[in-house]
Amino acid sequence: MTQRLRKREQDPLIAARVRVVQRVALGLFALLLGRLYWLQVVQHEHFRTLSENNRLRIRTIRAPRGQILDRKERPIAETQASFDLICSPIDVTDPEGEIRLLAEIVDFDPDETREKIRAAKKANPYSGITVARDLRFEQVSVVEFNREALPGFSVLVEAKRSYPYGTSFAHVLGYVGEVSRDELDQSDDEWLAMGDIVGKYGLERRMDEVLRGINGGRHVEVDAAGRDKRLVDEVPPRSGGIVHTTLDADIQKVAEEAMENRAGAVIAMVPKTGDILAFVSAPGFDPNVFSRGIRKNEWQALATDVRKPMQNKGLQGTYAPGSTVKPLVAMAALEEGIQDPKAIVRCPGYLQIGNRRFRCWREKGHGTVDMYKGIVQSCDVYFYTMGLRLGPDRIAKLEKDAGLGTITGIDLPGERSGLVPDTEWKRKVSKERWYDSERAILGIGQGAVHVTPLEMLAGYATLATGGEVMRPRIVRRIVPMDGSAKEIPIQPLRKLPWKPENVAFVRRALAGVVNDYGTGGAAKLPGIEVGGKTGTAQVAAVKGKMIKSGDLPYELRDHAWFVGFAPVADPEICVVAMLEHGGHGGSAAAPIVKAVMQEYFRAKQVAQAQEKK
Amino acid sequence: MTRRGKFARLDWQILLAALVLCGIGLLNVYSGTRVAGTAGMPPFVKQLIWIFLGVLAFFACYLTSDGFIEEVVWPVFWGVLAILVVVLVAGKARGGSQRWISLGAFNFQPSEFAKVAVVLVLARYFAGRYNPSGIGFGDTVPAIGLVILPFLLVALQPDLGTAGVFMIILVGMIVIACLKGRTLLLMGVAGALAVPCLWFVMKGYQKQRVLTFLDPERDPLGAGYHVIQSKIAVGSGGFLGKGYLHGTQGSLRFLPEQHTDFAFAVFAEEWGFVGALVLLALFLFLVYRGFYLASRSQDRFASFACGGLTVYFLAHIAINLSMVCGLFPVVGIPLPFVSYGGSSMLTNMMALGIMANLARSRFTFQGSGERSINA
Repeated sequence: MTQRLRKREQDPLIAARVRVVQRVALGLFALLLGRLYWLQVVQHEHFRTLSENNRLRIRTIRAPRGQILDRKERPIAETQASFDLICSPIDVTDPEGEIRLLAEIVDFDPDETREKIRAAKKANPYSGITVARDLRFEQVSVVEFNREALPGFSVLVEAKRSYPYGTSFAHVLGYVGEVSRDELDQSDDEWLAMGDIVGKYGLERRMDEVLRGINGGRHVEVDAAGRDKRLVDEVPPRSGGIVHTTLDADIQKVAEEAMENRAGAVIAMVPKTGDILAFVSAPGFDPNVFSRGIRKNEWQALATDVRKPMQNKGLQGTYAPGSTVKPLVAMAALEEGIQDPKAIVRCPGYLQIGNRRFRCWREKGHGTVDMYKGIVQSCDVYFYTMGLRLGPDRIAKLEKDAGLGTITGIDLPGERSGLVPDTEWKRKVSKERWYDSERAILGIGQGAVHVTPLEMLAGYATLATGGEVMRPRIVRRIVPMDGSAKEIPIQPLRKLPWKPENVAFVRRALAGVVNDYGTGGAAKLPGIEVGGKTGTAQVAAVKGKMIKSGDLPYELRDHAWFVGFAPVADPEICVVAMLEHGGHGGSAAAPIVKAVMQEYFRAKQVAQAQEKK
Repeated sequence: MTRRGKFARLDWQILLAALVLCGIGLLNVYSGTRVAGTAGMPPFVKQLIWIFLGVLAFFACYLTSDGFIEEVVWPVFWGVLAILVVVLVAGKARGGSQRWISLGAFNFQPSEFAKVAVVLVLARYFAGRYNPSGIGFGDTVPAIGLVILPFLLVALQPDLGTAGVFMIILVGMIVIACLKGRTLLLMGVAGALAVPCLWFVMKGYQKQRVLTFLDPERDPLGAGYHVIQSKIAVGSGGFLGKGYLHGTQGSLRFLPEQHTDFAFAVFAEEWGFVGALVLLALFLFLVYRGFYLASRSQDRFASFACGGLTVYFLAHIAINLSMVCGLFPVVGIPLPFVSYGGSSMLTNMMALGIMANLARSRFTFQGSGERSINA
């Protein structure tokens, strides 16, 4: 009955009220429709772009850097796959367990990694963390085998610059690194981009445009986590060109080993062509360390080392040449015709100039000395006399002509020139005239004169060629990306009008230094006549009595030099060795030159024997 | 005879509209989750089961005898209130609020059922207070009290979206239940004054959502991310859409909640303006049908209940779509029948079953023979 009471015909009031709500509903739907029209039709382009930007990413494929080859086509710088262990923090489910498992496979710092993962999970969980670099192949396969147990970890393959000879070629090849802001601004290569690897030093830098390739790219679709989902399209990278050098990896290694990690430089060159066979500056560094990204403390150690491992001593270090200039001074005396080689100078162990006594290295003196004996015995008194007779300008002219104190033009960046003083220089630095004492010591390569080992090598190579000065050459052939090979020709810089009999005389004297009971006996080779000259350049003026250089503190000890060529009759190789604070040239530097020459002739004999077969 | 009669008098139109929406939702759930890689049963199968259970729930409600629903309104209401208290005390926290209770494999959100219970209890209350010259203010206050109880329980979870739906239901029902114009005005002013007070009871993340709604760019990777990505999905769909299964915003997971609250974004991206138009038309049809049933009912309780439940649907549709289009702050309101989710599917189907039941009942009393209302 109650039901019946509440029953009614359609209530107009309720129907009217329902219609009100119905209109509100219609209004809401109209509003939504308008909004959809606005978003989907009017603003469609805008949102479509945003959606594409959301989902598409360009991934750079780094172009492999080109090879650098030695004269026997062996790679001395190459690009290899390196396997790095990467962690994606968002995917790590059990940090403790995964790190414990990894510790059994790879060497890394678990605490550091744990901390890094924790930090990244908070800051940017989608970023990748490098946990360990340069995994060995076995390690890679074990990690891959345990993929299921290591959800957050993966192995990333990356092209890495690698130097198979390690420290040997450090200063010639240089190293690579990520392009800097400044380098990017200065480069006119439109392809160069942030994060690209460029040559920073040495040949890597000089030949960068040849070696660097063009990066490729991958258009990929990514999800919200930035993970690649699908490849849309791909442009393969173009690998860089190849640089053929004149260097010989075997000789280079022998030279480096002969240095025994003492500070200094060894350079070997073919005098007739200027081809550099070996170029060592010690101590070196491992360019592979730079390829993987040098750590701050490693850089600090290199930068603050007193022996300056980051300096190319052959190219940038300048040193008093000492007795190594004597053959050039003799050459000047002969060419200028002011000294008959047979003429005698008496050596009582010193030369008195005014009230000063200039000592000969041999305290009891050399007695009667002609030019041959003067060079062979390295008699200081003889060359004080030559210094006085020639004067700075005539010595300077010949030395500069031969290549000292000048930029040689070698194809390495950062070459510096030494100084060969003449009257003009003297006028520039002071108003005083040349004093006799200064003139005399120029004859033995002391005083203001200082040269780089490369310049000294150039000077002796000029003696070896009889007056022809060649530009030292490291790069002999370039094969750029497009495959068009380009030969770099040998380059004669100038021909000096030296009289052949004078050249022959000096060469004979240099052969005497090594073979005729001279100061360079340690460079003697069986079966091959080596000619060369020792040099022991004073760093500090020692007053009063003679002190043996070996008793002085390291940084005050003498620089040891030896420069030579072989065979004397028709020189094929010319080598300089300079040891900073190395003591005596004859005992310290000459054996290095001997070792380098020995390797050169050994390899030559092997090659000839093989040819005969 | 009676059973066959019940089927004959069923409002097939409203059920069919709902089923078509369910079908669209199911396809959309597949598209939205096919790369999600969830272990166990894929959401597509789960949703299919929910639809099936939903249809059972529809008929369970529809087939109850005439008057039964009206009889059980009060016990059901108090029962739901009790469950809400249980949720608040022992519920499962998810996303910062306690909304869920676990029932074996399925998680349950009782606040969904609470909405239907509130509609029914208000309908029963207003039906008893009906006055041709309008219900006065004095009779309205207890009705507000009935809503405030579940409102507070849900707001404490906290789930301001659902709590807001209670308020919208209350407003809709006092309009339909013929309050006096004066009382309506008075309450309107009071409501407008109450809105600013809301700010002080909101939690930090809720305030954040409102602020980012006003300016999504203020936090594009945080609170504004939902809205920005959702608008990109909808807008990038364009006129014809990217094609089914070719949407990128959802499948690459730029869009969060892509198969639940933001299902429409996935749909609009793949089907474009044309698809969205069809979906809107279906919803509009559903709502109109609901209001039609409300106004044609000759029983006050049935009228108010149908009207209230339609307002409930309307609130969900409007809030969800506005949120996806960036017209409303992000709240946890699913799109009826389309969004993935069991509680919502069961509740909506039950609500629809109740509407069909109540709409049917009038013919029993009219005694004008067995005829379908759409005849």
